[in-house]
Amino acid sequence: MSRSRALSPHARMVLAVLLDAGSQWSHGYELARLASVKSGTLYPLLIRLEAQGHLEAEWQMPPEGGRPPRHAYRLTASGVQLARANPPVQPVTPAFVHREAAV
Amino acid sequence: MSFGLHRSLADLACRLLQAALPSSLQSWGWAVRCETADIPDDTKALLFALDSLCGLLPRAVAARLLQPFVSRGGDGAHFSGGSIPMTLYDAIVRRPRALGIACAIVAVGLGLAYMAIARAPMRYLAINVAALAIGLTMLALLGRTALAARQWTGGAIVVMAGALLATALLGSRVEGAARWVNLGGLAIQPSLILLPVMLMAFAQTRGRVATAGILVAAAAMALQPDRAMAGMLVLGLAALAIVRPDRHVLVALAAAVTGFAATLVRADTLPAVPYVDQIFYSSFDVHAVAGMAVLGGTGLLLVPAVVGWSRDAENRATYAVFGAVWFTVIAAAALGNYPTPMVGYGSSAIIGYALSLLALPKPASAPTATAPETDSELDRTQNDRHLLAGLGV
Repeated sequence: MSRSRALSPHARMVLAVLLDAGSQWSHGYELARLASVKSGTLYPLLIRLEAQGHLEAEWQMPPEGGRPPRHAYRLTASGVQLARANPPVQPVTPAFVHREAAV
Repeated sequence: MSFGLHRSLADLACRLLQAALPSSLQSWGWAVRCETADIPDDTKALLFALDSLCGLLPRAVAARLLQPFVSRGGDGAHFSGGSIPMTLYDAIVRRPRALGIACAIVAVGLGLAYMAIARAPMRYLAINVAALAIGLTMLALLGRTALAARQWTGGAIVVMAGALLATALLGSRVEGAARWVNLGGLAIQPSLILLPVMLMAFAQTRGRVATAGILVAAAAMALQPDRAMAGMLVLGLAALAIVRPDRHVLVALAAAVTGFAATLVRADTLPAVPYVDQIFYSSFDVHAVAGMAVLGGTGLLLVPAVVGWSRDAENRATYAVFGAVWFTVIAAAALGNYPTPMVGYGSSAIIGYALSLLALPKPASAPTATAPETDSELDRTQNDRHLLAGLGV
């Protein structure tokens, strides 16, 4: 059961990046970079979001051989609602803008 | 992919994280490891891995401490009953090794706080963190084989004593003292790593071979010379002699007293090293918070001994030796120019403390340990199958 607790600015940034990705899968390093959060902040947050049903995670095999598989993430329907209800409090970073432009 | 030092440390941090995480969070350990492996830049990969380790380690430790009380379907969110503080207290006192690990992590963290406030070089902080990672990884790896290797304990003590003797004869010499070995530009003090392990092993398994190893170690401490470590031998063996006296202990104690007396005869003129020696006093000059961090972190080192002594009557000899060993190191740091364990700069004491936890008993096996796999664990196994196939493990 999720608690109605105010989300941290970092959590809002991660949710915004995931919301921006839509149905596309995101990966940990890319997420941390786009949301400007450290991995030590990101993974506990992802674990919590997944446990609360806001995040979907799956293992993806790499397209080319010799590379490790990757854990990928995207928001569930409730996660999308959560992200929309909690927009980032700080201005979006250049990396985030770049990602939006690329999409 | 470059397999340089940074990449190796990154992989080590990932493996440590995986060893620390409970089964319900293992897929996240793999996630960090795979993501780290996919980062082309070695330095960025190392930072990513270390930061993940720092962020997830508290959760991993908490989950492991709470594991006996967690319902089988969850990962720490649900409790079988009772207040959370009481559950935490019971879980901690029933798991001496986990308590020791928690104390080590917090003590090193407080030491980092002190060094940061005192504006120590960042390299010092990184080395202490790396030492903690190495020590806990070795603890995790050796912990699985310790029981099987118990028959070789006497031989292991002799080998470690030989290493100490070799250090006395061939090690780096400063102001007449030969206590260090130079490894990759770092001066390691083998006695701070090996002697606590030897004493803890001797507390559990004694015999002629093990006693001979202790005699060699006493001679090595006299030759180095090292009053602090010679004192550790004396107090550790004295504690053992009080709790569980036998012929082997008394012989070893006599040798240790002789060795310690020899160190007193020779002058010890080593000057204090900043951030290493005398920091019980200098830390308060820097800031009261720094001083409290040093004192608090040092006090934590004795907590497993105190809690174990009061709660686990069967293993009191082990806790007595553990307490005596680390009390001696702390007392030596307070009285002379000897390294302040865990909270000061220095990797040897951190690794030594982690390895000395090997002798602390694990908790009594919980009924859940052999329970059938839960649905969530089966799911995890299914989900991880592709991953494991991809990694070739």
